[in-house]
Amino acid sequence: MPETADKIPEKTARPATDGSRAGFPFSPVVPALSGGAALAACQWLIYVYAPLEITMGVVQKIFYIHLPLAWWAFVSFFVVFAASIAFLRGRAARWDRLAAAAAEVGVLCSGLALITGSLWARHSWGVWWTWDPRLTTTLIMWFVYAGYLVLRALDLPEARRAMICAVVGIVAFIDVPLVFVSARLWRSIHPAVFASRGGGLDEAMKVTVIACVLCFGLLWAALIWARKRQLDLRARLDALLVEEE
Amino acid sequence: MLKAVWAIARKDLRLTLARGSGLAQALLLGLLLLFVFSLSQQVGETMSPQGAAAIFWLASAFCQVLVFNMLYGLEEVNGARGGLLLMPWPVQAVWLGKSLAGLVLLLLAQAVFLPAAVVFLGQQISPLWSWALCAVLLVDVGMAALGSLLGALSQGQAARESLLGIVLFPLLAPLLLAGIRVGAGGFADALPEGVTSWLGVAAAFDALFLGAGIALFGFIYAGEE
Repeated sequence: MPETADKIPEKTARPATDGSRAGFPFSPVVPALSGGAALAACQWLIYVYAPLEITMGVVQKIFYIHLPLAWWAFVSFFVVFAASIAFLRGRAARWDRLAAAAAEVGVLCSGLALITGSLWARHSWGVWWTWDPRLTTTLIMWFVYAGYLVLRALDLPEARRAMICAVVGIVAFIDVPLVFVSARLWRSIHPAVFASRGGGLDEAMKVTVIACVLCFGLLWAALIWARKRQLDLRARLDALLVEEE
Repeated sequence: MLKAVWAIARKDLRLTLARGSGLAQALLLGLLLLFVFSLSQQVGETMSPQGAAAIFWLASAFCQVLVFNMLYGLEEVNGARGGLLLMPWPVQAVWLGKSLAGLVLLLLAQAVFLPAAVVFLGQQISPLWSWALCAVLLVDVGMAALGSLLGALSQGQAARESLLGIVLFPLLAPLLLAGIRVGAGGFADALPEGVTSWLGVAAAFDALFLGAGIALFGFIYAGEE
């Protein structure tokens, strides 16, 4: 199949016809299994190796799930941004599908980060929700990318939908620094996790959280990989159906 | 290109303002919001300046959605969009022209919302109003730039108002916060803390989305239905 088969034709509603070739051809078994095993090993670090925090007790353990979710959500949104730029440059449908997969995983991770953060806030600050730059930025990003997913579900010609989503994927990400700065100017009470002086984490806690972030990365990669592969296969099926008709 | 920008803005303003229902829908919605929020106060109670500024900007944001849907809706019949695309000027002239028209319409609507906020929400214009005016202008420029960029994406869509609102409102958060914080100074006796930082945020937003509009509008604005 020639390379140009991956490009979405500009003025047609036909789906892309590159399902098998341009995407991830193999199933994400390796990262999924290694991610699952690594996260299982992390439970030992969380509940045995890392010390119990004095004031918060066992509730503090939420942090080891909350932080990886939040960080990988941001990485997902960066992937949407980068894939959107790549799509606009070459109009290759595989970038559009990568952006779609990353946005879905990002919304899932940021949603779970918000829920775990809310549980933390209830125990730590006595409220389910409070104004804080990181919380607010995460919530606004969740809203933006949930809107992005609504756009993706619109019944539009494939080429136009992909183009609109790529533009929104770029606009959404360049807004993030401004959202963070404005939320910080408003007010902040978030704890400093990796503070250089004062505050910060105990050494064992730091090792545990870094291990959790890295191991969760494997699972994150497996999720993106699996979803991208699903979208590739669906595109291939759609193309086969169109050809038969 | 500036000639084309001015021609498009003038055409849109003529078409909008000449129609009886032109800006009326957006104005009525904004006024209705201001009135409904005034019901949250007890009799004799006055709202805080920040609360009043927040409601003023909420009315402005809803007005913005209606304005840009209306502006892009003007070319939805008789293939008029194709006419604009065939102009011998860069397609960005359409974005800039509609931004300009939207900015003028938004300022006109806010000229009505401001006295309504004073009346319904029990506010008074403070001697520091010039800072608030500066914030209004900076925030409106950003709202017009982003509204015009994203207004084009909902062209031809059913339920386009809600679609545009879902995408636009979260992105406007930094601008609205700046507008609320500095705008509160227009209703209070003292300026809030960090006014210059807030104006900086609004100016940075303007610069970022004016640049994004120029770079990205050509991808969104197409002749397809």
